[in-house]
Amino acid sequence: MRKMLFATVLAGFASLTGLNGTASAQTIGVSFHVFDDNFITVLRNGMIKHAETLPGVKLQVENAQGDVGRQLDQIKNFIAAGVNALVVLPVDTSGATAITELAAKANIPLVYVNREPNNVDSLPKGEAFIASNELDSGTLETKEVCRLLHEKGVKEAKVAVLVGQLGNFAAKTRTQDIKNVIATPDCSFMKIVDEQSAGWQRVKAADIVTNWVSSGLKFDAIIANNDEMAIGAIQALKASGQPVKDLVIAGIDATKDGLAAMADGSLKVTVFQDAAGQGAGGVDAALALLKGTPLEKKVYIPFQLVTPANMATFANRN
Amino acid sequence: MSNTLSLSNAGVAARLSRYSSTFNTLFGLVAVALIFELLGWIVRDQSFLLNAQRLSIMILQVSVVGIVAIGVTQVIITGGVDLSSGSTVGASAMIAMSLAQVSTNAGALYPSLTDLPVIVPVAAGLGVGLAVGLVNGIIIAYTRIPPFIATLGMMVFMRGVANWYTRGDPVSFPTSSYVAIGAGMTPVVIFLVIALMAHILLTRTLYGRRTFAIGSNFAAAGRSGIKVGKHLVLVYAIAGLLSGFAGVVLSARAQTAQAGMGVTYELDAIAMAVIGGCSLLGGRGTIFGTLIGALIFGLILSGFTFLRIDVYYQEMVKGIIVVAAVVSDTYRQKRLARRVDAGK
Repeated sequence: MRKMLFATVLAGFASLTGLNGTASAQTIGVSFHVFDDNFITVLRNGMIKHAETLPGVKLQVENAQGDVGRQLDQIKNFIAAGVNALVVLPVDTSGATAITELAAKANIPLVYVNREPNNVDSLPKGEAFIASNELDSGTLETKEVCRLLHEKGVKEAKVAVLVGQLGNFAAKTRTQDIKNVIATPDCSFMKIVDEQSAGWQRVKAADIVTNWVSSGLKFDAIIANNDEMAIGAIQALKASGQPVKDLVIAGIDATKDGLAAMADGSLKVTVFQDAAGQGAGGVDAALALLKGTPLEKKVYIPFQLVTPANMATFANRN
Repeated sequence: MSNTLSLSNAGVAARLSRYSSTFNTLFGLVAVALIFELLGWIVRDQSFLLNAQRLSIMILQVSVVGIVAIGVTQVIITGGVDLSSGSTVGASAMIAMSLAQVSTNAGALYPSLTDLPVIVPVAAGLGVGLAVGLVNGIIIAYTRIPPFIATLGMMVFMRGVANWYTRGDPVSFPTSSYVAIGAGMTPVVIFLVIALMAHILLTRTLYGRRTFAIGSNFAAAGRSGIKVGKHLVLVYAIAGLLSGFAGVVLSARAQTAQAGMGVTYELDAIAMAVIGGCSLLGGRGTIFGTLIGALIFGLILSGFTFLRIDVYYQEMVKGIIVVAAVVSDTYRQKRLARRVDAGK
């Protein structure tokens, strides 16, 4: 009885992992830096759905849970299990050299997706990087905010900034983008009055904005590193009776919730990053490298500005 | 401590220590508030405390973790710990929200289960929490493995459940009656009502006496006729139920549920209880203390944003306060024990 139970459990596990496939299939080992992030989830699902449409391609997806060591172990295990190619979203973009070396030594094609490794310019043959250029997102966002404020005729615009998780590359870059745009002569009428980290989270952002309002901080615009925090800001402003629609609230990601907020007039600006496109692109690049097709070292999938005027085209894409 | 005291003194000492500990936490709260008030006038040229909106956000931003902390306090009093609460918040938020969606949302998770009466998602969220708590309690009471291990396993498991449920997709667009649970100051009212109920339960009922008895001396509690196993299951079930409820309130407040919700809430809740005078060795702690502990957290969060200080420092200060609170409490307890000894 006990043995039977054990066998059943084992069989269950085998079917869960999907390792009992045919031997001729191309297996791609995928290591994600994290799982529980909306954007990454769309990317992951885009990748999985795309792979399902390709006959003979199997993905084995694992979660490194933000741990550099765990990710390296996963990659070693993938190589030991004889995967045909690797797709990696590196936990630590400055520690990608170790991953590159592992793949090169095993002679397995490797594609970095979404997160730019620091060795991107020196990648060996058989390796590539696919993403959107992070420098574009915050720039597109802030330029549009600048344009809107200019259009409204604000002479000295006060801007409050909601930053993503501290130490995160996208949070750092997007915040720097804001400052770079403000440093240009066209947008120098904007001034940052405060900058706080809400760790990408809606509720935390709402709490910060309520704290701002309660200490009498005045602002014409709130520029958030992502839509979730922008929505949190909108909720807090509504709750404290502020005229949300007179302010310029901006986010990034064009999530479903973000587009809904844009539809009701409270979110003015967001930026679309093609998550599913990046996921699918990663798989395609890995297969291309497997066949020996030459590939650009960096393949960029462009960010796109989303405003009430063009928002309909982005519905249901992220 | 009870080793060094005669039995009659033990009760007095426990009472004394309970009051003095709460008094001390209260003193800490006032001290922190006054520091911010002073800095407010120096740096920002305005009052920190005399601002109704700020006072309300101070408590609002800690009420969800506060609800968790009330359950965790009871667990800690039994000498246990519950690491699974943060993940339970995440899982119950996801599951409750999936049953609270409006029919106008084209991407609803269960298109045939939309616009349900608010009781359905709330019951689902509470049910998830209760189930987690029951399993925690049964494992701890009947296999006798340390609560740390049992609830650590549950923490990882429930985060898995939260991620698996929608494969990581967020769940949004709830009905307005669901949103009402988290709107305005409702979370604060829920937090305070639960705190009051738990306070009465712990200080005025047999349930409370048994909880303290188990934490003070596990073996003696069993020998004196308390069904220790059953009682532990009850305590963990209540803690789980409250985590489930916190998940409902949090998702209603955010108007969305995400698999990563509630991360580190278990540690914040434990910290609030410990600042409030809970002993991790068991047998000591009050709901009032935990409430003050929660308020200290809220005070720091608001105070730092008010002074526009970087979030990095907020975390450092939070860490220092937890340790400082316990160190000062330990010293006080020792002094008190000597005093009671001397009076014997």
